[in-house]
Amino acid sequence: MTSPGEAEWVPGRLLYRGAEADVVLGDWQGLPAVFKVRKPLTYRLASLDQEIRRQRTVHEAEMIRHAKRAGVATPFLYHLDLQASTMVMEYIGGKMLRDLAGHMAEKDVEGPFFKFGEGVARLHAAGMMHGDLTTANVVSREGSLVFLDFGLAHRTSRLEDHAVDLRLIKETLVGAHPGISRAALDAFFRGYEAKAGTPRFRRVRSQLRNIERRGRYARVA
Amino acid sequence: MKSIVIGVESTAHTFSASVVSSDGEILSNPKSVYKAPPGGGIHPFEASQNHLAAAPSVLSEALRSSGVGLSDLSAVAYAMGPGLGPCLRVGAVAARTLAASIGVPLVPVNHAVGHIELGCLLTGAKDPVVLLVSGGHTMIIAYSGLRWRILGESLDLTLGQLLDQFGRHHGLASPCGRAIEESASRSNHYLRLPYSVKGNDVSFSGLLTASKSLLDAGASFEDVAYSLQETSFSMVAEVTERALAFTGKKEVMIVGGVAANKRLSQMMSAMAERHAAKALSVPLEYSGDCGAQIAWTGVLAHGSGIEVPVAESTVRQSWRLDVVDIPWRG
Repeated sequence: MTSPGEAEWVPGRLLYRGAEADVVLGDWQGLPAVFKVRKPLTYRLASLDQEIRRQRTVHEAEMIRHAKRAGVATPFLYHLDLQASTMVMEYIGGKMLRDLAGHMAEKDVEGPFFKFGEGVARLHAAGMMHGDLTTANVVSREGSLVFLDFGLAHRTSRLEDHAVDLRLIKETLVGAHPGISRAALDAFFRGYEAKAGTPRFRRVRSQLRNIERRGRYARVA
Repeated sequence: MKSIVIGVESTAHTFSASVVSSDGEILSNPKSVYKAPPGGGIHPFEASQNHLAAAPSVLSEALRSSGVGLSDLSAVAYAMGPGLGPCLRVGAVAARTLAASIGVPLVPVNHAVGHIELGCLLTGAKDPVVLLVSGGHTMIIAYSGLRWRILGESLDLTLGQLLDQFGRHHGLASPCGRAIEESASRSNHYLRLPYSVKGNDVSFSGLLTASKSLLDAGASFEDVAYSLQETSFSMVAEVTERALAFTGKKEVMIVGGVAANKRLSQMMSAMAERHAAKALSVPLEYSGDCGAQIAWTGVLAHGSGIEVPVAESTVRQSWRLDVVDIPWRG
């Protein structure tokens, strides 16, 4: 695949500097677009770094396609540049769930977190895990949720992997949104159960407890 | 008014006592470290015997070199947990005895909180993302809502265990970190090893197995040590970077025994730079287990009125950091 020429690729403002990529708002063939650029991480050994970046870029494109098939909203992929480990995608306005949750009262969490749970259950039912389900990777746009960042996603139907997804959500809620974590997690689980069905939900949640018990000094709540 | 606290640490291989004043001056910090036999790990009972034998001299030395008398002490702090039961109990007995005999409050301290708070005192960190890496912990931590919250951690082995178990497989004695670092510095030949980041968490068990297999298959210890460090440190740097990007905080601090590794702190500095954040490392003398972490946290806790009656001063082998209230940061 060739690099996009300068005329069609106009990077602009840095939207977000994530751990593994810069997310830049720009213009692609006249469309407002988001450029996800996996820049070399200088602290990592070059050969290891290059392989991880390339792998995650290819993977992410495949996973976005797969998530769309499962009926989960994601940005459209416009272009892929493996040389530069860059993806060009639809720009999603809206607000990160992380920022919304920062101002939420306990009574406001039901709607968005129930939908969050439904979306994750859809991904799992389609045989994949997201791998990075923090509240910064879900955006609310006109009342519906768009899932971002499939860089750590995998095709998997293993109970363990699906439970790892839930574990990160729980960790993020308890760690970053302690005030609403209980209500948000409850709503999330209800949404998940509604889509996945009660038997599957119970099995995933029980695996989540197993994982937590493996942790150091774990007292599972 | 200025208060002075003596703190007793005995969670694992180290028995240490330290006298610290409420203005943050560390007046003494002697320690005695149990040495495991080559190829073996810490035997909890044998470590506790080391601590029993060392306790009187370490405690007297902590007082003598601080220039402080028993009557100047405002409280006695001890590491209530988490840690090895037999070792914890030695420190608890010493602390109880001292507190009861001079009639001052006994202050329970969480060992992990101790690492963090001492780190903040020594580096001047105000609101850092903390990477706590030692034989007992591998966690990424930040303060929020009255507690130190865990944003990511190892799902199985700690980073210290990974290094120790790898080193012991080669016949070294725990702790093996320094020997591994030295060997790794003599290689730049990277052998491919499994890189396992799961969201904000890491998993080291597959990496340990693969590293041991490489050694068994005849790869040089230097090359595998180098590859193991590069892989495992990149993993923790990546999840720490995720926490930094997620929280938007501007300081990263490494604490715990593995913080002594220069390659790790170099990676953390390069990572922090990308986010215009400051990378802070605790001075070598205080990065590993020591009495000062307990004494200083004891000062803070005592200032917030935290104490425990002798009758309830048990030890807690499993005492997770994120259940401890931190009123002094509220």
